[in-house]
Amino acid sequence: MSYQRTQNFVSRRQQNWSRNQNTVAFVSAIKLGPVTHTVLIALMITVLGLIYLTQATKATGYDYATQKIDSQIAELNIQKSDLEVENARLTALETIKSSNVATTMTTPASTDYIR
Amino acid sequence: MELELQKGSRSKILAAFMFGVILLFAVRLFYLQIIQHDYYVGVAKSEQVKRLKIPAKRGLIYALNGELPVPLVMNQTIYTVFADPQTVVDDEKIIDVIRKVAGGNARSNLQALLDKKASRYQILATKITRVQADKIKSENLRGIGFQEGAQRVYPEATLASQVLGFVNDAGDGQYGIEGGQNDRLVGQDGLLQSVTDVRDVPLTIGDNNINKPAIDGENIVLSIDTNIQSKVEQALVDGAKRIGATEVSAIVMDPQSGKVLAMANFPSYNPAEFNKVEDASVFNNNVISLPYEPASVMKTFTMATGIDKGAISPSSTYYNNDFIVVDDKIINNASKGKTGVLDFQTVLNWSLNTGSVTVFQRLGDGQNITRGAREIIYDYFYNRFRLGQKTGIELANESSGIIVSPDKVEGNAVRYSNMSFGQGLDVTMLQTASAFSSIVNGGTYYKPTIIAGTIDKSGDFIKNEATALSSPISKSTADQVRTMTHKTRIWNSSKIDKPGYYIGGKTGTAEVLVDGTYSNDGGAVGSYLGYGGSEELSRYVIMVRAANYGKVFRGAQEAGPIFTDISNWMIDYLKLQPKG
Repeated sequence: MSYQRTQNFVSRRQQNWSRNQNTVAFVSAIKLGPVTHTVLIALMITVLGLIYLTQATKATGYDYATQKIDSQIAELNIQKSDLEVENARLTALETIKSSNVATTMTTPASTDYIR
Repeated sequence: MELELQKGSRSKILAAFMFGVILLFAVRLFYLQIIQHDYYVGVAKSEQVKRLKIPAKRGLIYALNGELPVPLVMNQTIYTVFADPQTVVDDEKIIDVIRKVAGGNARSNLQALLDKKASRYQILATKITRVQADKIKSENLRGIGFQEGAQRVYPEATLASQVLGFVNDAGDGQYGIEGGQNDRLVGQDGLLQSVTDVRDVPLTIGDNNINKPAIDGENIVLSIDTNIQSKVEQALVDGAKRIGATEVSAIVMDPQSGKVLAMANFPSYNPAEFNKVEDASVFNNNVISLPYEPASVMKTFTMATGIDKGAISPSSTYYNNDFIVVDDKIINNASKGKTGVLDFQTVLNWSLNTGSVTVFQRLGDGQNITRGAREIIYDYFYNRFRLGQKTGIELANESSGIIVSPDKVEGNAVRYSNMSFGQGLDVTMLQTASAFSSIVNGGTYYKPTIIAGTIDKSGDFIKNEATALSSPISKSTADQVRTMTHKTRIWNSSKIDKPGYYIGGKTGTAEVLVDGTYSNDGGAVGSYLGYGGSEELSRYVIMVRAANYGKVFRGAQEAGPIFTDISNWMIDYLKLQPKG
């Protein structure tokens, strides 16, 4: 023989808490077992790993970009140095002395000074 | 219900086996990861972490064009072309391209080098420029690589080569400013330590990365004026050709600051091709490295010593017999016939040895060059005029020369009598010109220098200040000796100087020692030491030395005209206004 409870007992504290609220306790019908939990955790770890890898690769990608810019800077510096050398050669005393203008110059017959 | 394996069952055996395997793994991993930790970390680092040297750029060397610094020595990036014979596929094309582009810088046996299939590195061409390297790269030749390097280039070609020196294949400065200031020029290499990928591209991952930038060498500005240097070198070449000299050297200094404006030697060499030089003596800068007996140019210092000590004045007199006896030696005049009572201006004009010995005797008891006189002379020559000791100029291989102390047995009266007219001592041209500058400028000895300053990172020229070291003689003495040398110049060489300027100087003809005896058989070295400018201010000091061992070169006839050539040009170059 079984007895059915006709009135549920509710404590005063619970009555106070729920007086102004419609509390609903949702219980999912889908139950996850231990295998599912394991798979989900594994997936989460995988996602975190992928995020880490993406960021690490991104940092390395910046390294390559930096390297490329450094190479360009070095190349431009070499070009600049070459141009400076060429400029120095073209303006060198030896070059000027052997220029057409210099070879046709003559010594002045007389020199006077402003006093 | 409690799950329990039956004792002795296969499952229990499997479990025990698995436990054993896992234990083995654990022990092995413990060994590898804990005990061998440092070893494997080291192996990993050596594979992944690269230490790359960031080469410092060698400092540039500038000279002055008036007040403007102009480069004399620069750096240029060059490339070495190499091949991996195991990788190359088209030998003919490679050889054709390398020969066409690299020209004389290509190796002559290219096919033989490419045939060395056991090797993975064969140099095909060296010292090619960036433009040449780009042309070769554009051909996309398989198995060809490039190594970057740097070389010194000289826009002014051979100008001031012995002042500059060169950088050898090991990167060390040799001779000249390259050798003397190597520590300042070389800079300090940087370090890049980083994890790299397979192509050696540095990556930021890792916690032991080091990025220490290179510190480039200092850019040095020489006090050499390229225009004066060029003129002096041309004057030496012309002069050597005219008089048949095998060695000619000259120095031009600013007597008001001690700065060297030009320093040249004949013969010279091309520093870009230093490895083609057959006679290494051409690397020497004789102005600073070759002590010699300058002969009668020293009489200016003898007069300065005598006047400063009050022993003589330009107008005081002595009796000239054309010879003088010192201990057991008889010293003769080179110029004979001017006997009788003469003043010391005449001594300088005629370059009389007896007169200069007399000056030294008057520093003693009037008849002998006593120990006291010798100490005075040594004090003036060595301590005050700083002869016979290194000046500290910033160039490599400076020689000290010799002034024998009276404390030594050799420092006797005979030696000191010879020293009065420039024999029995060894001095360099730099020492002599620096000391003479102190006479010309009114009595201040400036430390001779060939560095005018530096160029900082922003390209600004930071000038050095002149360093006055001492006052070897009084202004009155300096002015008197300056006037004496001016009169000597006029007396000896009138009408060859531009009129309206104040030029002075003294000749020197030094017999060369042969088997311990002075004789014309070994020839004579001619020198000229003089100055120029206005009466109020001397603007330059020039010293010339000419030699061809076995031939007699006199100061007036061989060295003097070279001085005059440079001096007259200097007046125009400095735009000095004539008086009157």
